[in-house]
Amino acid sequence: MMTPTTRIKRFGVIDRVFHLFLILTFLTQTATGFGRLYYTTAWGKRIGALFGGYESSLLVHKWVGIIMLIGFIVHTVFLLFKVDWRRPKASLFGPDSLIPTFRDFVHLGQRIRWFFGLGAAPRIGRWSYWEKFDYWAVYWGMPLLAITGLMLMYPIWTSRWAPGWILNVAALLHRAEAILAAAYIFIVHFFIGHLRPTSFPMNEAMFSGSVPLPEAKEEKPGWVEQMQQQGRLELAAANPPSTMYRVIYFLFGYAALGIGVYLLINGILYSGHIRLH
Amino acid sequence: MTAAIHIRRWFMAPVLFALMGVLLASGGAQGAEEVASAIRRYKEREASTGYYEEYEVLPRRQRPFVEIPGVKRGIFPYSPSAAQVRIRTRLADSHRGIKFYESRRCEACHVRETMDNHTVRANLTCRQCHGGEPIASIDHYYSPLNPIRRHAYVCSKCHEGASASFASYVVHEPVPGATETRTAFPTLYYAYWFMLLLLLGTLVFFIPHSVLTGLRELFGRKRKSE
Repeated sequence: MMTPTTRIKRFGVIDRVFHLFLILTFLTQTATGFGRLYYTTAWGKRIGALFGGYESSLLVHKWVGIIMLIGFIVHTVFLLFKVDWRRPKASLFGPDSLIPTFRDFVHLGQRIRWFFGLGAAPRIGRWSYWEKFDYWAVYWGMPLLAITGLMLMYPIWTSRWAPGWILNVAALLHRAEAILAAAYIFIVHFFIGHLRPTSFPMNEAMFSGSVPLPEAKEEKPGWVEQMQQQGRLELAAANPPSTMYRVIYFLFGYAALGIGVYLLINGILYSGHIRLH
Repeated sequence: MTAAIHIRRWFMAPVLFALMGVLLASGGAQGAEEVASAIRRYKEREASTGYYEEYEVLPRRQRPFVEIPGVKRGIFPYSPSAAQVRIRTRLADSHRGIKFYESRRCEACHVRETMDNHTVRANLTCRQCHGGEPIASIDHYYSPLNPIRRHAYVCSKCHEGASASFASYVVHEPVPGATETRTAFPTLYYAYWFMLLLLLGTLVFFIPHSVLTGLRELFGRKRKSE
């Protein structure tokens, strides 16, 4: 029976583990990377000292980078298994897919009109266009950072198959993409997840794995409708998270938020001392 | 039809054999030259030092698409408009004729050159790469920074195994966004502008998008509770 207290499943355990993995590795990479990027400032030296100085923070950065790259490969294999290869078109471009479609652009237009009260809110499906952007921003950023990172890690080997000046370009791309990723996550992603009224104080879906049905109906009406039509809504019912688990993930989420905002604010304050290349 | 093709193929066979013979023979001649050398395995030495016995040579066995800035190749490797001919890049003493040179510091004139990663982060001094007085122009024939031997004489002091290609890393990077860089280092220029526009574009779109989402949700709530 569907009551207002019913919760429906949004993220599986594997999705949540991937997200947790990304939080831990991304924050480590940002802290070690910013420590080196801002090393000429007092703040950068302090961050670097947390990881044992300029050289050992690079060592941490390299190892965590390799772990991140392995995670990316595992995730890609996982994605390939998620696709229903008997019906590739329906599976890749269907409502449960993260691949952007024409409908997302329509939703964007409708949503901009809705911002100013000029029209009804779009009936967003399982994944909104901004969630898709979030996902693909990470998905293209990670290989770019991994490839340029490996090039900088093995410069002699890189100069065997490419001209040495490619390292200048690799360093620029690695830095600029890292700054872009940190700025996007610590401003846009954190705002959407914590600060906007429907999420405040924290959007719990990525930790609890489920959302209350009324919230899903308001936020993702297309998704609820689709599940009702397919008769899957009853099957998606989920238990609420236990109080202890909620306390733990609130503490964890706020710790991650605090670290991110701290790095963002100091990064902006000291931005005059760094260059994009 | 098929018979004609067969005949043509049959005629091609000796031509191919002859071609292969020429190729093999030329390879053999090169091989004989190698063996005749007093220096064993000189190819590796040549590739890493820029010397063939006592003669100076360009690094051999270049990989395709791996070009070395500063080393001009081709049938006519000179250009009447090439700036480096006119600037002091081929002098034995690059600071010859500069007034009060002895009492000046490098960074008094070379401002940007003292702000790159090798100077700021690796704490290298100018002379550790450019050598002592008189500092030769980097394209002077005997300069340690001449691109034909830079990798062996300078880079490999720290970067073990540095090749000529590796030495083409631009230590004194130009300003990546400047118009001069579009001709001097186009890849860096376009990479810079692409990343900068991507960064600005993403934030300029998504920050107002987030703020408007927040505002609209706030107003929508108030209306509901009223």
